[in-house]
Amino acid sequence: MSHTQDKASALKQGVLIGVYLAVLTALEYFIAISFMSVTVLTLVAVVKAALVAYYFMHIYKLNEEHEGGHDSFEYKTGTNRLGLWLFLLSDSFVFGGLLVSRFNLLGLERPHLNQLLGLAVTAVLLLSSFFMNRAETSMAHGDTKGFLNGILITILLGTGFLLGVVGVEWRLAAAEGLTASKNVVGGIFYMMTGMHAFHVLTGVIFLGLVYRNGRNGYFTKEQHWGVEAAAVYWHFVDLVWIFFYPALYLIGTLS
Amino acid sequence: MKKIYSIPLIRGIVWQVVGLLVGIGIVVGIRAAMGLQATGPFLVTEHAWVFGGFLGTLTFLVGHGVMGDWFKWWRGEITSDHHEDKPGWEKYFGPSLDHKVIGIQYTVTALIVMIVGGTFALIFRTELAFEGMQFLKPAQYNTLMSMHGIVMIVVILLGIGGMMNYLVPLLVGAHDMAFPRLNSFAFWIVVPAAVWLLSSMALGGIETGWTGYPPLSANMNLVGQQTFFLAVFIVGWSSVLGGLNLIATVVRMRAKGMTAFRMPIFVWASIATSLIALTATQLIGLSFQMVMFQRLFGMGFFDPVKGGNPVLFQHLFWFYSHPAVYVFILPGLGIVSELLPVFARKPLFGYKWIAMSSLGIALVGFLVWAHHMFTSGMNEYLRVPFMYSTLLVAVPTGVKFFSWTATIWKGKIDTPVPTPMLFTVGAVFVFLLGGLTGPPNATVSTDLHLHDTYWIVGHFHDTMFGGFMFPFFAALYYWFPKATGRRMNETLGKIHFWLMTPSFFVMTLGMMYIGLNGMRRRIADYDPAMGFQPTHFVLTIAGFLIALSVLVFFINLITSLRNGEVAKGNVWNSRSPEWQVESPMPAHNYEHPFEVVGEPYDYGLAGSKYVEFAKHK
Ligand code: HEM
Ligand SMILES: [Cu+2]
Repeated sequence: MSHTQDKASALKQGVLIGVYLAVLTALEYFIAISFMSVTVLTLVAVVKAALVAYYFMHIYKLNEEHEGGHDSFEYKTGTNRLGLWLFLLSDSFVFGGLLVSRFNLLGLERPHLNQLLGLAVTAVLLLSSFFMNRAETSMAHGDTKGFLNGILITILLGTGFLLGVVGVEWRLAAAEGLTASKNVVGGIFYMMTGMHAFHVLTGVIFLGLVYRNGRNGYFTKEQHWGVEAAAVYWHFVDLVWIFFYPALYLIGTLS
Repeated sequence: MKKIYSIPLIRGIVWQVVGLLVGIGIVVGIRAAMGLQATGPFLVTEHAWVFGGFLGTLTFLVGHGVMGDWFKWWRGEITSDHHEDKPGWEKYFGPSLDHKVIGIQYTVTALIVMIVGGTFALIFRTELAFEGMQFLKPAQYNTLMSMHGIVMIVVILLGIGGMMNYLVPLLVGAHDMAFPRLNSFAFWIVVPAAVWLLSSMALGGIETGWTGYPPLSANMNLVGQQTFFLAVFIVGWSSVLGGLNLIATVVRMRAKGMTAFRMPIFVWASIATSLIALTATQLIGLSFQMVMFQRLFGMGFFDPVKGGNPVLFQHLFWFYSHPAVYVFILPGLGIVSELLPVFARKPLFGYKWIAMSSLGIALVGFLVWAHHMFTSGMNEYLRVPFMYSTLLVAVPTGVKFFSWTATIWKGKIDTPVPTPMLFTVGAVFVFLLGGLTGPPNATVSTDLHLHDTYWIVGHFHDTMFGGFMFPFFAALYYWFPKATGRRMNETLGKIHFWLMTPSFFVMTLGMMYIGLNGMRRRIADYDPAMGFQPTHFVLTIAGFLIALSVLVFFINLITSLRNGEVAKGNVWNSRSPEWQVESPMPAHNYEHPFEVVGEPYDYGLAGSKYVEFAKHK
């Protein structure tokens, strides 16, 4: 596990992954405006998702062996971790179903949306994942202050994302006549962004609870399953957006 | 009054009603303030009912107290993992964390809901006994028929929940499930859902059958259609969370020495079932949610006028609902494999093949859904691949039959045959008929004729009775002594079996017979000239005989609970760990942990041993 990593190299890794993700997102945008290949866009999204799943969500921890007995904290945390990942697996079927519906109904058409805003909210969410990662690694090194700051920034960025999508993008779309009941393009757009925003909202609430409990000294360097769970969940929400962003903004021609 | 209110179940229901009213009030208030119409054919608009239903579900859970520990965690409090139920019946109405209590809660709820669903069937079956409309209106017929279908599906989900919750921790030697609070939550969330489901009858009913296909389900101006969707959505969450918990339990909490291929077959079956429940269920949830939103907000997913596609619904729906039929049967087939060796006193034939066949059925089951859509107007090139993938399922299913036959072959079965064994063998025969009637439906050329006829109704009653009902009864007769410390009455058990089985064969064969001749399913009346009436009459009689046999079962259950013969020791002479300790099962399961030292089903092999308990400390 990465707690054998020292603090500086954890930071270095976080920054590196953040940069990779940013570059790949820019690449996506370039592909979309230059030659729009669905296959290449999908591939890039898969690479981004793999980076997030491995480095931010540390999926490899599922494989960890635990020394203590079944009643030890480590063993129970391992069980909790499995439970959380099973939940995410289940949840990903919801988002998968939405993606399937989107391509079944709209084919290679996409809704008319504000590209700049799309890029901005994507960047905000990505950045929030970086700070979430900072918060978690800080906790793992016993740095409560860094942890609290990281969580706080993540919450702010998450709220910013919500405002951007629900507060601005929805308004702009509606102003251009794309309402939920107008046609199926509107239906899909509001359903996908709405379902995702709902998950972001629950994530923000979850982070709020973690922040409060963390301020009350609930977590320690060794025992902070709550922080890890919030982080993994938060990154998962980001991972979903990695697929939703091209599906809504980049792939296809305007409808 | 205060005493009644202190029962969590009652408190939950009170809160649920309050939540419903508050939710309705909020929506009506907002709509009125916005100048929108707030009243509808069912007092208020659908928006109000749906929001009220959603809020009422939450308030039920809060009032009931099943989320109490989670609220404490959120406040940063630490809760104890050691929980003790007070002795007595009260624990069954509250948020107990004991998997055995929860298993019994599931099972008893399943049995109660079964009475409700069965009554619906008897009512519309009576209507069908004669041609012409007797005492029901077509809309009432549709509602009863649809409710029968969906209520029985809930029964099956609750029934397998009961079996898996009660048995799996005992079989793997765990002291509880991996997440006891989640376990309790997954059960209690069904209760408000059941309330919404039944209340849809008072809100106009449902007319679409359990499948709820749009456009009909999207256009029917009935609030009942919405509460039906809401209820199924919530029950789906119970399935998802139950499956999650079960997988975590089996992966993390097995006793020492219990390697994958030394797990009881029922555990394998439960894993396969849970994998489906965990993942595919989300898609029925999503598809129902999308219809709900189409009705509430006019989002045109399945409305061709707005560019939507009704066939997409069927894809999403069957992506769950076909694998779901394996959710229904795999635990039951696991029970069959579990009990046959005990009563035949022989090793289970081909253990590994059986274990793998459950997983195989579950995985292939994900690739066959469109066999329900051969006539739907989906792309024609999909037909043949789905035909072959469906026929492929017959292979792992066949493996099970070979194993069962070989296990019974030359077995030493006691005479008179004990009731659980009767139901186990009954399950094999009934499921055989169900399985054999599947391939004709899977073959496109024949299915174009069979689709939506009574033949299909016969087919799936055979598979569901063979795969769930018979094994469920077998399991109840078999583990009743473990749960209660008393045995059920053998004579009544045999009456139950010998009354139910022939009636059941008459019923499903009759259904297939008229189905082949063109009797449509889901229809309140039929043309006298088709000559179906005598068969329909027989079907109705057979239906009542089945109900009578189940009544005998209930009488047996209740009287044995009080006066049954006391169960001493290893009632069935089983090798399984739960029978090596006293009955009823002690509150914390095994006082001394056991270690697995041999193969699970080596019945009749001298000197073989499955588990060994740790010595006294
Ligand atoms: C060899 C195995 C099986 C095959 C090949 C098979 C095939 C089929 C096919 C093709 C249909 C659609 C028929 C139509 O509507 O035209 C069907 C319907 C159905 N089957 Fe099976 N089946 C098999 C086993 C099972 C099992 C094990 C169950 C469940 C316990 C089951 C439950 C159902 C149900 C509930 C329906 C009707 C769904 C509805 O339209 O309401 N089947 N089966
Ligand atoms: Cu099917």
